[in-house]
Amino acid sequence: MKIIVVISFLVVLGLFFFATQVPITLTDDEVAKAVSETSSELPVDEEVLERAVRLSVEKLEKGQSTRLKYLAAAYFVIWLVFILYLLRLGQQQRELDKRLSQLEQTSDDSPSTPDEE
Amino acid sequence: MGSLSTKIVAIITAILIFVSLYLIFGYARVEGTMLEVQKIFYYHVSAALTVFVAFGVNCVFSIKYLIQRKSNDDLLAVAAAELGLIFCTIALLSGPIWARYAWNTWWNWEPRLTSTLILWLMYVGYFILRSALEEDKRGIYSAVLGIIAYLDVPIVYYAVDIWQGGLHPDRGTKWNLEATMRHTWMVALLAFIMLFILLLIVRYRMKKTQARYEILRQKHLGEAL
Repeated sequence: MKIIVVISFLVVLGLFFFATQVPITLTDDEVAKAVSETSSELPVDEEVLERAVRLSVEKLEKGQSTRLKYLAAAYFVIWLVFILYLLRLGQQQRELDKRLSQLEQTSDDSPSTPDEE
Repeated sequence: MGSLSTKIVAIITAILIFVSLYLIFGYARVEGTMLEVQKIFYYHVSAALTVFVAFGVNCVFSIKYLIQRKSNDDLLAVAAAELGLIFCTIALLSGPIWARYAWNTWWNWEPRLTSTLILWLMYVGYFILRSALEEDKRGIYSAVLGIIAYLDVPIVYYAVDIWQGGLHPDRGTKWNLEATMRHTWMVALLAFIMLFILLLIVRYRMKKTQARYEILRQKHLGEAL
């Protein structure tokens, strides 16, 4: 039970991190290439354009990083509550099984009443 | 419900959860205003609606218990209340994370949030009452409280209409979503309802075993004396 819960949690977590890899992060080469392509089409200073693009990309990345943190926190909390509840259920079930077997054992060990004899 | 049926429910639930996760992150369109943070909606709203279902089950079986006085109805009502409380906790914890981004505050005493917190507190009270009472009175008093507490559910649901000016969107908003978002939310809601059914079966069985254990123990103690 515990293993299934932990594996499910890891799978869900893995799936979550895999799925949230939104490709906003741009490399320096990609930015330089985009700037050079745009500046050849538009009559603007390449240096100014590159700075503007870099600032925009940084802003976008920062915004996305913040949003993904909120998203991850919410999903983490949701699954954590379920996992903790399932673990508690498992623990209660084990305790109950133990008490039941103890009771059965005590019943078997106890001396029989005169009527039964 | 046999163990085979439980296994089938468990498999369906697991599939629905994984499908819903895929739909949330791989299919549903990213909303224009809140972007990725809006994806909290799918599980947050599903949890909130599952709360209504869970407390509804509690209310129905509380009424049934008061009429027929069958202990199984009481056990089912308690199991449903416990799960309702779990789903309500999820809604109350995931909500503020979303609120922090959307409203720039973790908590706001607006109608829907406040009425949901009252609902949560009432069902916490339900369990405090149960643990404080003697076994013979436990079922009746908690059933009455369960029915009274359920009166808060329509208040939570219609809070946006009753008290204007809240921060939550209108009730109809979730039905007017863009197609991919609506499909995703429906699958997520179905996954949560199936999860509730599965956990209800598991919890009810455990409660029954626990009750059987108590009877056996009392009998054993009686024999020993």
